[in-house]
Amino acid sequence: MTIDPDPAAAPGPHAAPGVRVRDLTVVYRTPLGELPALHGVSLAIEPGTITGLVGESGSGKSTLALSLLNAVQPPGRIAAGQVEIDGLGDVTRLGGEELRRARGRHLGYVFQAAQNSLNPLKTVGKQLLDLGRSHGVADPAALVHDARLLLDRMGLPGARVLDSCQHELSGGMRQRVGIMFALVLNAHLVILDEPTTALDMITQAAILRIIREIHKERGLTTLIVTHDIGVAAEVTDRLAVMYGGRVVEHGPTTEVLGDPGHPYTQGLIRAIPRLSGDIDAARALPGRPPTLGTVPVDGCVFRERCPRRMDVCETGEPPVAWLGDRTVACHAAGAAPREKEHA
Amino acid sequence: MISGTGVTKTYRQRGAMLGARDVQALRGIDFTVPRGGAVSFIGESGCGKTTLGRIVAGLETYDSGDIVIDGTSMAPLHPRRRRRHFRRVQLVHQDPYSALNPTRTVHQTLLAPLALRARHTGRSRAWAAGRAEELLALVGIDPGYVLGRYPHQLSGGMRQRVVIARALTVDPEMLVADESVSMIDVSMRLSVLSLLKDLRERLGVSVLFITHDIATARYIGGGSELYVLYRGQVVERGPTEDVIAGPVHPYTQSLLSAIPVLHGMEVPGPERVVPTEALDAAVEDTGCLFAARCPFRTELCTAERPELTGDAHRHACVHPHRRAVIPREAA
Repeated sequence: MTIDPDPAAAPGPHAAPGVRVRDLTVVYRTPLGELPALHGVSLAIEPGTITGLVGESGSGKSTLALSLLNAVQPPGRIAAGQVEIDGLGDVTRLGGEELRRARGRHLGYVFQAAQNSLNPLKTVGKQLLDLGRSHGVADPAALVHDARLLLDRMGLPGARVLDSCQHELSGGMRQRVGIMFALVLNAHLVILDEPTTALDMITQAAILRIIREIHKERGLTTLIVTHDIGVAAEVTDRLAVMYGGRVVEHGPTTEVLGDPGHPYTQGLIRAIPRLSGDIDAARALPGRPPTLGTVPVDGCVFRERCPRRMDVCETGEPPVAWLGDRTVACHAAGAAPREKEHA
Repeated sequence: MISGTGVTKTYRQRGAMLGARDVQALRGIDFTVPRGGAVSFIGESGCGKTTLGRIVAGLETYDSGDIVIDGTSMAPLHPRRRRRHFRRVQLVHQDPYSALNPTRTVHQTLLAPLALRARHTGRSRAWAAGRAEELLALVGIDPGYVLGRYPHQLSGGMRQRVVIARALTVDPEMLVADESVSMIDVSMRLSVLSLLKDLRERLGVSVLFITHDIATARYIGGGSELYVLYRGQVVERGPTEDVIAGPVHPYTQSLLSAIPVLHGMEVPGPERVVPTEALDAAVEDTGCLFAARCPFRTELCTAERPELTGDAHRHACVHPHRRAVIPREAA
């Protein structure tokens, strides 16, 4: 684990920044009025860690990731709360030119389906020079040099890739190009949105290995947004599990997986098809994840599918309980001894 | 029973500058799916698994070999006469969001094929309507809830059940499920898999399961067989649990090693295999197709292409060796 134990380490431009999300609420305008995709989310991302943000469709994980860049697009908007990033301050207050400069320089974002985020008409090299120009890079030659080194580092023929258009690159190569773009301006907070979706298993394993190695070598704070618990389990130090616009559990990955505290995490883990062990132990969660329109207004968002539902779950938003190094937002957490299923 | 022998398929790609280039999607595939049985084909994109599924469902032609459906050989039949037999095989698509017509209610979607059948068999429309409800109940959804609804009002899991119900309207012998759960939320994936298992047990429908996610192949029910495809060739096949627990082909081992380890619950297998990446797909067609990426290759491997050998658990490798690659439960 790469958690920096020294909180006094100065968060300069070239140190891994920490992130503190406080009471963040993001709403989307719909015919039914403004509905919250994120509801009072608080999350601390420690500098130097790889944090996984996992959840099913509609859980709010992508909205949360976009909020870190203050890039929630209309009809969505940040309605309340702060996102404080070391070296940048509260990004929800940034705008215009300031925000544009922060993205790329401080915050690198690797888009979901990097397949489609490249310009099909321009070579990778030309797009790199565009990036350099828009960020006022004084020495384009050095930028190209850095990009080449990064690509080489990821096992690609750097010079050739820079001269290629996207259709000449395979999915795994494009994903690496996406990572290069996120890092080439020396950003130290990197957000990867579904970095391995649509990649083959063996390519996925290679990309995950690269993410971990680059994270360590460059001293980054990395956030991986994924629906695939396996992906998160393989590379992350810490895991935040999202459901219905809330973070329901957050803590060290091995603890969250080894001894899940929230009934949703427990159910989700039990629903994963596994390579070994008893087939009959795996079970789907009944019901379906809520959508914007079906998230209950009061009480616990998970109660419809929860095996440990109580009266209090109908009305009260679950309090956040600390279990050691971990937070669990559940009325039942800590109240009863949790069953240990994967001893 | 549905079986295939020596099925091949070559796609001819016409390049503007480089001239024609042949892509061998399938290089002679043998398979057998017994009645009520299940066979899974696993492999990466481009291995030919989807092509095979489409051929077995009668949606794609094949170049040579034969497919036998319930004792009838397709090879000598005129393509138009094959159609009746291929109807016994129904395809369940990967994407339940695009497989259903968005302008039709579930009721309309199911009634169209059923009404046609009612007409051919001299049954009433009431039979068709009743059958639609039966089929929905069979796939585990409340007909009262979904019949009047449009696809966009349903979750991915429910849509996939509707697609399966539609496939069942023609009383198929076999369902071809091509990546049928990959677009469904993780928490509900198993429920669709157990539906397939259920249909096998209750209706005797057999399942051809096509996936890149090997772990899901364990959940389509007992007695299933696993086939590992690499570049159009079966490189290993056997009872699903045997192949997963004790793979002998380095490609199967690479695939299994690539599956993420759930740290905290599992520890990695001690002998994980990491192949060379196929960034530049070198077209090396002599010898073993996997040799270029194989960490255990020797000169023997490029001399001759290995054939599938063995009894229940077969492999096509010159240097077969069991390796412990899958994760184990953490202590």
